[in-house]
Amino acid sequence: MFGFIYKIIRYLSLKNKNMLQNTESDKNNSEPITPDLEKNLEVIKGIFRDSSDVTIHEFNFGHERKFKGALIFIDNLANKEEIHKNILQPLMYGVLLFRNNVDIDFTKIDSIRENLISMTDNSKVSMISDLLDSLLAGSAILLIDGSKEALAIKPGKRESRSIEEPGTEAVVRGPREGFIENVNVNIALIRRKIKDTDLCVEKFVIGDKSKTDVYIVYIKSIANPKLIEEIRKRLKRIKIEAILESGYIEQFIEDSPYSIFPTISNSEKPDKVAAKILEGRAAIMVDGTPFVLVVPMMFIESFQSVEDYYARPFFASIIRVIRFLSYIISTLGPAIYVALTVFHQELIPTQLLISIAEGRERVPFPALLEAFLMLFAFDLLREAGVRLPKPVGQTVGIVGALVLGEASVEAGLISPIMVIVVSATAIASFAVPAQTDSGTILRYIYLALAGIAGGFGVIMGLLATLLHLASLRSFGTPYLWPVVPLDLSGLKDVFIRMPLWTMSKRPEAITWDNCDSYSQSPDLMPSAYKKDDNDSK
Amino acid sequence: MGKKMNISIIKSILCFFLVFALSGCLGAREINDLEIVIGMGVDKDENAGNILLTAQVVKENAVGGASGNGGGGDDEAYWNVSSKGESIFDAVRQMTHKTGNRLFISHNQAVIFGNDVAKEGLQEYIDFFLCAHEMRPAALILVAEDRASDVLDAKPETEKFPAMNIAKLVKTYGFTSHLYKVNMKDFALWLMSDTTAPLAPLLTIIQNGENKEIYVSGMAAFKNGKMVGKLNHDESRGLLWVLGEVRSGVIIVSTPDEQGKAVLEILKAKSKVTPEIKDGKIVMHIKIKEESSLSEQSTTENLADDKAFEKIQKSSAEVIRQEIMAAFDKSREFNADIFGFGEMLHKKYSNEWKTLKDNWDEIYPTIELNIDVESKIIKTDLLKKPAAPKEGEK
Repeated sequence: MFGFIYKIIRYLSLKNKNMLQNTESDKNNSEPITPDLEKNLEVIKGIFRDSSDVTIHEFNFGHERKFKGALIFIDNLANKEEIHKNILQPLMYGVLLFRNNVDIDFTKIDSIRENLISMTDNSKVSMISDLLDSLLAGSAILLIDGSKEALAIKPGKRESRSIEEPGTEAVVRGPREGFIENVNVNIALIRRKIKDTDLCVEKFVIGDKSKTDVYIVYIKSIANPKLIEEIRKRLKRIKIEAILESGYIEQFIEDSPYSIFPTISNSEKPDKVAAKILEGRAAIMVDGTPFVLVVPMMFIESFQSVEDYYARPFFASIIRVIRFLSYIISTLGPAIYVALTVFHQELIPTQLLISIAEGRERVPFPALLEAFLMLFAFDLLREAGVRLPKPVGQTVGIVGALVLGEASVEAGLISPIMVIVVSATAIASFAVPAQTDSGTILRYIYLALAGIAGGFGVIMGLLATLLHLASLRSFGTPYLWPVVPLDLSGLKDVFIRMPLWTMSKRPEAITWDNCDSYSQSPDLMPSAYKKDDNDSK
Repeated sequence: MGKKMNISIIKSILCFFLVFALSGCLGAREINDLEIVIGMGVDKDENAGNILLTAQVVKENAVGGASGNGGGGDDEAYWNVSSKGESIFDAVRQMTHKTGNRLFISHNQAVIFGNDVAKEGLQEYIDFFLCAHEMRPAALILVAEDRASDVLDAKPETEKFPAMNIAKLVKTYGFTSHLYKVNMKDFALWLMSDTTAPLAPLLTIIQNGENKEIYVSGMAAFKNGKMVGKLNHDESRGLLWVLGEVRSGVIIVSTPDEQGKAVLEILKAKSKVTPEIKDGKIVMHIKIKEESSLSEQSTTENLADDKAFEKIQKSSAEVIRQEIMAAFDKSREFNADIFGFGEMLHKKYSNEWKTLKDNWDEIYPTIELNIDVESKIIKTDLLKKPAAPKEGEK
């Protein structure tokens, strides 16, 4: 049956592909630029007939103003001041500084670039289609009468948000900078952390309409070349009109699109991404979003936070354990409560059973329905609170707390213990942000299983989840590494976080051959001042 | 290849679903539909042959928590439902005529047997409690001095439920070691033994003004499932010395100058019993090692020196010896092997046991005890010497 569904999906996607190709062939801009300026401008004007924000400025330059040129740019995408100062002024007045008979060919784009243009970010284009691409990417296009090529000049800065602390990943200790929507700034942020010649930034342009810049960032000497090759292959396969956020990329390149578990991680924090790149992973940076993708992802990463490595190992280990517990509570809490109270009352201590029975005395619903109602109300509140503007969001929170916590118990609709269970679950679900999505889905699945078959159902569900997790791969890395398959050196950073000086290896499942060269000195353990060391000097 | 894979996947999915058929204890019950039984009493009915079963059921609406608006007060949190039946299971099911719901006995703390039932023999009544899959083997077994239903009716002062109170009384036996906690499993194992006599704590009701108070007055001894006699507190502790189950307790001896009493608290006790057959006579060598602290004294004499210690140790050893002898004499009286000497002999002299087994009843009273008690005072708690006027040491 699944095969059948798969075939249908496959057929539909193939059909879409064909349609895309058809529309592509309709457009025909692959003409070369002609030496005739008038002709070129005519073509371009024809294309931007209905776009009023495209400025086409024609001008004459040279000593006798006998050369003709045109500057094309899109308002606000290109910085007008920069264009005036660094392109128009040199061309129209700077030229006058030369002697009249100077040996410069003003009909050749190369000589103009070399002698007059004082901006570094420029490139030659010879096709109309390339010209249009550069223009839309924010370049100013310089066309010279008599030249077969045009110059695309990228003037100045583009408008972008300043670097702020990311909203999704606040830290107590650690850098407070976060990525922004401008991918070039983001790459610079990574460069600032890793000053290494091996740091590679490979560019891809994806999206027929959006032409979004996508970069693979990795360290050549650490990352597994097969991993990088695989990312390139998967990125090249994407045929889509627009990439608006890195989530688009994620959904097109992930290993198991039908799994509820994410196999690609994302982050807003440069230090986190830099740390992962240093471990041999590759970052995929997409223009227009502060969320940077990192592959491969392992399940354990959801429970690790950058702060674990900035804090000393003891507290970090305790917090790690708390995160594991909270994930278990957030997925299994309501399920275990329902299984115990509906199927296995003999497992509850007598006094507790009596209090539960007392609390449930007036409740008209079965425990399963009660749990579903409360979980639904919680998810509803959360969703409503997220989307609303802040002042209104608070109101929702207060109303929700009063209605759910107080009134429903007082009215006898919900038992007080269920309120405790669901609120504990809700709090726990926020402790592991990376797995919130999967946790929420699992919570409902386990709850349903608990309602059908009690503890037995929950165990079956857990088994199925475990089997599924063990079968997942993220770009060739086992999802449950280093637990499955077992890797003892990897276990130093799973359930507890060992001191940094004991972790002298990179994760073997990611880097393969390059995992050993992490540290040269064998003993990194810090120690107090020793007399012998001093004597031997 | 592909086809083979498909088949194996289908097979494994089928296996997964088959697993659901294996589960034995499915069946959802909402807590609201449960009658949580926390104690049960078994008595004989006036009609011969019938039994009267009393179940103590939790009244959820009267437990009185945060949401108990208007309720609470003097309302009892429990409901003693009784029903008659030809057998216990019959009575349990008859009870649904009164409760509406099936009884949920997983949380049953204690099963109390009335005196008349105990005398007639527990064998036929205990079977249901061992059979029922909901029943826990850790539930306590007790015997009432009179009727079990009266015991369940006596309202305790600090606990909400009489059954819980009774369970607490028995579970804290270690403070005095005057009785012993007997649960369903222990009792069943004793019943299955050829020689060992089962025991159960004995509950007495004391009328204190209008209030009834429950009091554990000792242990009831059984033989062949029938109650044959009672052990008082000291005799019970004598038994526990031998079994090595004395946790703590108080030993009172007179001081060396015979002026007052010295009170010792038992800290630790160990026992070792070695049976021996000598010239056809059975001798049980019982070695007790006991450590205690001097907790109270009623004279001004300073007992905290080696000489006084030695004397007190000697007399406390004598007290222990007497307690053991008292227990043994009592057991000889009703000829029930409460110590489990038979089992010990069986282990050591398995060949001789074959002949001993058949006339154990005649042999048991002839057993000789060789008791060796080593009592030691290891500390005097907080005081070095008694708080008394100095005149004592001039």
